[in-house]
Amino acid sequence: MLKALKKLFFDPQLQRKKSFLRALTIFEDLRDRELGSMVQALHSRTYHAGEPVFMEGDIGRALFILETGKIALTRLDESGAQAPIYTVAPGEFFGEMALLEQLPRTASATATERSHVYLLYRSKLEGLLIQHPRIGATIMKHLAQILSARLRRASARPAAAPR
Amino acid sequence: MPTRSFPWIPAIVGLGLIGAAVHFLMPVLVPFLLGCAAAYVLNPLPEAAEVRGLRRPVVVVVGYLLIAAAFVLLAGTLIPMLVREISSLRESGPAYASRLRLGWLEFQRRAADRLPFAAAQINHVDPGVVIAPLLDQATSMPSYLLSAAPLLSLLFLIPFISFYLLLDGPAGLERAIQRCPSRYVEQALHLVSEIDHSLGAYLRGLILVALALTAASWIGLTLLGVNDALWIAMLCGITSFVPYLGLVTGIVVGGLAAGIQFGSAVAFLKVALLFLLLRAAEETVVQPYIAKRSVHMHALLYLFTFMAGGELFGFIGLIFAVPVACVIKAFIEVGWSWYSSEAQLGAPEDAEAPAVPYT
Repeated sequence: MLKALKKLFFDPQLQRKKSFLRALTIFEDLRDRELGSMVQALHSRTYHAGEPVFMEGDIGRALFILETGKIALTRLDESGAQAPIYTVAPGEFFGEMALLEQLPRTASATATERSHVYLLYRSKLEGLLIQHPRIGATIMKHLAQILSARLRRASARPAAAPR
Repeated sequence: MPTRSFPWIPAIVGLGLIGAAVHFLMPVLVPFLLGCAAAYVLNPLPEAAEVRGLRRPVVVVVGYLLIAAAFVLLAGTLIPMLVREISSLRESGPAYASRLRLGWLEFQRRAADRLPFAAAQINHVDPGVVIAPLLDQATSMPSYLLSAAPLLSLLFLIPFISFYLLLDGPAGLERAIQRCPSRYVEQALHLVSEIDHSLGAYLRGLILVALALTAASWIGLTLLGVNDALWIAMLCGITSFVPYLGLVTGIVVGGLAAGIQFGSAVAFLKVALLFLLLRAAEETVVQPYIAKRSVHMHALLYLFTFMAGGELFGFIGLIFAVPVACVIKAFIEVGWSWYSSEAQLGAPEDAEAPAVPYT
């Protein structure tokens, strides 16, 4: 009886989305209700195989979180061909720097198979920072950690030998 | 890097076609637009429940049942009270006129006594010329309110439309995003976000102010013992959709009603003070909450928007004037943002510039 009532009043889809988001580094430490607000702040879209998500040089305004499918990140090489740099797997996110600054994307993203993606738009994050400062601050903290880790890796890399 | 430009010409042609369609289909579109506005204003309630894990359809149905119950209760008490006030105003109109006329004559007599050199000019003013048009307008107010009665038919259609929109929730927007060409998804979201940012706070704030002003002025006028407090309060609430007009209406209509009823200027001043205090309370309590995220437009731009809306589409134009201006403002802001980001205006400092190394 209680189960039937719970099923009638509570949305299982929301629980599924919250569980998915909870597993992401960027949303770690968020409370259950905050994850609910996060689900509402996200938009979703399905990309078909071969459909571009964004192109190198586009002005970035959103973070993309891949729920299902595969997204190939490529960059134009010196010969003008698209060189693969990474394949995004489900549960990973990309394009996060667009949340910090509106600059051209440094790579292209294309769905290599049917992919379901969540989008966190920059101004939604700004709205969260005002309305739910804890959510905004948590996301910003994780973004800063990601940025720091990348910078550390880049600094640790041995300098290229002079030609 | 590949560059591309926004398809401005198809966008402008599309907007022009939409504008023409709106102009010609206005009578049919009105209930749908009002239904959309009602759903948009009410949407944060099911959203807040959804955050707690509740199903949207359950929340919407329960919410509608509660609103219907509240409406039935209010209709049972407020509507008969309003009808009583309107009929009493019509009956007491001539008595008010004669009282106002006597008051004016008394004022003329005193003024002539104090200023004997201008007595001829003062007595030359016919009270009928001054009072009649004023009283005509005052006693016509209930008729003006009743002339909006055909709009009541919308009261049944609007909740019906907004019910389905609320049930649908964000699914409609998600479908639109799915149909949007993938490369323009980010731009489309930017536009939606800007419109939502300026329109949402404005519409919700406006309704909040109108309801708060109606309730507070009704209580205030009733405490001051002014007759017909409910319809005066409703008039203030409705006119508060235009900045400052609610305050002016309250002082003029409420003040005159009190002045005539009690036969003294003090009553007028008391009502004026009441509305000034209400305005101050609105400025300090309600406006900070609204202005935090609301659209910022100059008062003259508000006035122009209302005049243009009224001139082009009449009463409906008045209702939609500022929301449409909000949408236009969002388009301009987004257009500028796209232009400035594509043109790299205000780009951050050069990454090659000397900086403290990572440590």
